[in-house]
Amino acid sequence: MKSSIFSKFEKTVGGLKFAVILILLFTTFMVVGTFLESSGGAEYANRLIYKRWPFMGLQFLMFLSILFAAFLRLPPKKRLYGFYVIHTGLILIGIGSFITWYSGIDGSIILTRNDPSRQVELNEDIIRIHDTNKGTVYKKKLPFRAFTTDLNDEIAGIKIKKFLPFSDNQMEWKKVENKFPSASYLLFNDNISQDFTLSLHPQAKEFESTLTMGKLNIHFLPTPLGNCFAKPSKSKLIIWNLDTKTCFTPEEKKVAIKKSKRGSRFLALSTKLTGSKKIISFFPDFSPIPLDEKLQPFRKSPFRILSKKLFEEKPHLFLFGNKLSYFSDGTWESKTLGKDPSSLPWMGFNLKLIKYSEVEAPVFIPYYTAPIQESGKLVKGGQKAILVEYQGNEYWVTDNAPVTMIAGDKKMIISLAKSSFLLPFEFTLTKFKMDTNPGTMDPASYESFVRLFTTDGPSSHHIYMNNPLKHSGFTFYQASYFQDNNGGYGTVLSVNIDPGRPIKYLGALLIVLGSIWHFVIRSEFFSRRQKLAGVPA
Amino acid sequence: MKIFALLTLFITNLSFGANIFFCNPDLENLPHLDGGRLKPLYVTAEESIKSLSGKAKVEGLTRTQIYCLLSLKSLVPIKDFDLSLKIEHVKIQELLGGKKSITYSELKENFTEVRMAYVRNKEKNSYKKALEKVMRQVSLYNKITSGEHWQLPKKVEDEIEWSPFNSYFSEKDFNMGPELVYDILQKSKEDFISVEGNKYLFELRFLKWHVPSWALLTTSLALIALVLFKKVGVGLTLSAFTFLLQILLMASRIYISERAPVTNMYETVMFSGFGALLLGGALAWFLKEKIYLYLGLGYNMLTLLMMNFATELVTPSISPLVPVLRDNFWLSTHVTSIVLSYGALALSWILANTTIVKKAFFTLSSKEENYYSKIIYNCLKFGIVTLFFGIMLGGIWADYSWGRFWGWDPKETWSLIVFCIYVAILHGKYTSWIPNRVFIPVVALAFLSVMMAWFGVNYILAAGLHSYGFSQGGAFFLGTFFLVQILLVLITHFKIKSFKLSN
Repeated sequence: MKSSIFSKFEKTVGGLKFAVILILLFTTFMVVGTFLESSGGAEYANRLIYKRWPFMGLQFLMFLSILFAAFLRLPPKKRLYGFYVIHTGLILIGIGSFITWYSGIDGSIILTRNDPSRQVELNEDIIRIHDTNKGTVYKKKLPFRAFTTDLNDEIAGIKIKKFLPFSDNQMEWKKVENKFPSASYLLFNDNISQDFTLSLHPQAKEFESTLTMGKLNIHFLPTPLGNCFAKPSKSKLIIWNLDTKTCFTPEEKKVAIKKSKRGSRFLALSTKLTGSKKIISFFPDFSPIPLDEKLQPFRKSPFRILSKKLFEEKPHLFLFGNKLSYFSDGTWESKTLGKDPSSLPWMGFNLKLIKYSEVEAPVFIPYYTAPIQESGKLVKGGQKAILVEYQGNEYWVTDNAPVTMIAGDKKMIISLAKSSFLLPFEFTLTKFKMDTNPGTMDPASYESFVRLFTTDGPSSHHIYMNNPLKHSGFTFYQASYFQDNNGGYGTVLSVNIDPGRPIKYLGALLIVLGSIWHFVIRSEFFSRRQKLAGVPA
Repeated sequence: MKIFALLTLFITNLSFGANIFFCNPDLENLPHLDGGRLKPLYVTAEESIKSLSGKAKVEGLTRTQIYCLLSLKSLVPIKDFDLSLKIEHVKIQELLGGKKSITYSELKENFTEVRMAYVRNKEKNSYKKALEKVMRQVSLYNKITSGEHWQLPKKVEDEIEWSPFNSYFSEKDFNMGPELVYDILQKSKEDFISVEGNKYLFELRFLKWHVPSWALLTTSLALIALVLFKKVGVGLTLSAFTFLLQILLMASRIYISERAPVTNMYETVMFSGFGALLLGGALAWFLKEKIYLYLGLGYNMLTLLMMNFATELVTPSISPLVPVLRDNFWLSTHVTSIVLSYGALALSWILANTTIVKKAFFTLSSKEENYYSKIIYNCLKFGIVTLFFGIMLGGIWADYSWGRFWGWDPKETWSLIVFCIYVAILHGKYTSWIPNRVFIPVVALAFLSVMMAWFGVNYILAAGLHSYGFSQGGAFFLGTFFLVQILLVLITHFKIKSFKLSN
């Protein structure tokens, strides 16, 4: 009974019809995969199709089908010799690929010049929690999925809740404890429009208080300063108290502005004005920071000075919540932003206030999005994110920004990283060379000159395209390069161990030989002509 | 850019008429460094003026002369001479005040509007693409007329240095008259040849032979002689000529580029046509079946038509390769076997289409149907074996240069898709699933997968590591091809069905 079930199974799986169905299914998956790759990049296609169980299961079924098809046609018949060789080759490729998948290594090593390294990064996402007090590092592999995955895991008291393999940030306004201003604006003219958010809140880490758009510089300042900007002042100076958040002009408080021997303006604030025992003085055209009685910079003082004169040459826009100031046509203009947009003196631009708040601050919250690729780069969804919970608070950790959590004397650093391992020997890049095609900046070749430090002593090697380095089972290939901040070049080598390689190569060779045997030598090709009477040729 | 103040040469004749200054047609012989490659000025002028205006001649001047005069604009104000651009997109015509043709000087004045329209148009549509093209054309025009595009060689201590046209001459040179400027240019060429040799001039000679046009003529005549007039001797002689011409074409390109001629769309189309003719001829010879030669010639003619007339899609220009492809061994084994397999599969495609048309609109006995499906089957066998060989070599090359045998890159995946589709057809034919009447139209349709792997990955998917050959208009070509093929199969299918019903 058992054997009859097996033989039935063997007959079905080894049958031609089953093979055709499998091949067509396999083809359909691949077609979908290539379109997914085109729209969302290679990793998306891998996470959705190529490296997932349905597709891999299908490959396993194909393997069985090929195997049983060969078994069914035993004992050997002479006319099927080619067929046996082809199927043996296919089976070997299957086995070789399995070995590569199971025990192969495919990673990369990043080398900067004269900086030894042995760390190989693998293409596997992990969450890394570093308990700085204990000095322990916890690592956990994240699932290779294409969509949001709920994890419900806990490491060192930190709950890991969600993993987003593809995400983008969305700005949200979050209630905060301390009061600091933040605002969103829309800058537009007939052709373009751009919204931007500026904040002075310390919790709004991703948002700055200044911004440059083309030639225009935008400064977001505390709201009370808006009134002082609007006040007429011959000296064009504003004095600002960081503690009381108040401001005044020298003219208002009748502070005399004098000139030094070298012609620089300077002024001094009396103890009455500063409210302390110290007299402070400013050289407003050089520094906003006051000087003490010994003419040394006095940073602890709450007073700062701002000279509007410094902002008259280039386009500068000062924003104070719903007020704005700028210099145009020889005068300083101040306006209040109402419901209607306010016109600016540059290229027909208008400005509109979208939101202003002191009790809420802008923060970025990751959300899942299917990736979109354009010209080989992800333009959407290129960020990975995990949601963690610690002591009742939720935090987002992204691969761009690790999170540091401090509770009492405990400090935890959580990051999203790639898993890695250390090579048994050390590498140094001694030189990176890039040749360009004559008269252009297009690369013609990339070459890395490296030095290996092994137990047998150091040795020098030259790695370039189509010329990898093989050393103790590892193969190193020239993969990419980068330019560091100092203008020097670094190199990226891909590191590879493939124990399945010889089996796959043997399989490929058998298939080619088998096909020639089966289709060309065995067939009627050269033995006899297929002449058909009455057919015009 | 400097405009010379004293120009005795031009002072009396600043307006353009019959004056070509020193821009003689034989300047095409000058060496030129462009796009990372040394070539005769002729090639640069042909490619750039073609992309600027599409015209072969303007006011009776050759493209080299036009290029020279445009470059001269950087030093002398030549007001009356300008190129004009044909505006094809209706929306750009509207943008430029309803003009269908506009001179580049006018276009430059309206350039801000073009750029603003480009910035304002957020969607990626044909309008945006057309605007992008106009912007590219204006930028090329600016580069030429600023005298930056034309690079001239200077011999400095037995080495060649390149400098742009606008800074090559001194004011004194110009004041001596056009003959002297012409002599300086000729001297630059002689100096260059004395250091680097004159190999680059071969390309000029080669291009003037117009080998692809002659090959198209001989292959078409061979087909006509064989099919229409049944003149076997004439047909075979002409086929041999075609074959030799294509060998000359490929050998010349190998000599110029110093690599296997299979590195861009033009060359793969060329090689597949050549391979199909070679295979068709060989099969016809060994199996004593002329039909293989007909198929080879038919497909060869199609590829030559593309090479001669679809130059926007398959550009004949030779450019430097990306570093990873710079390996002649792998190029000449992996790519040639893949392209050869496409050629073999194309033979099956041509015969399959001919058979379904014959069956639907003429007569086809079941004997003939069997005979043709055997021929198709033979072509498929060759195609599949060479394709598999090519895929495996590709895997080994990828393993050797990237460290992986298989990586699901779109180009390699599609080659496997093609393989699987044809293998499924072969397996289906073994069982009773696919009788001949189905087999033939299915083979015709299966060629769409080849087109997708060959052109579609580059023109439609345009992603992945095999980043060569991306070009405009390819998606349109491919879409039309798909549509026509599917319609042909449907029409013949219903025609045959209705014929059967009426009997």
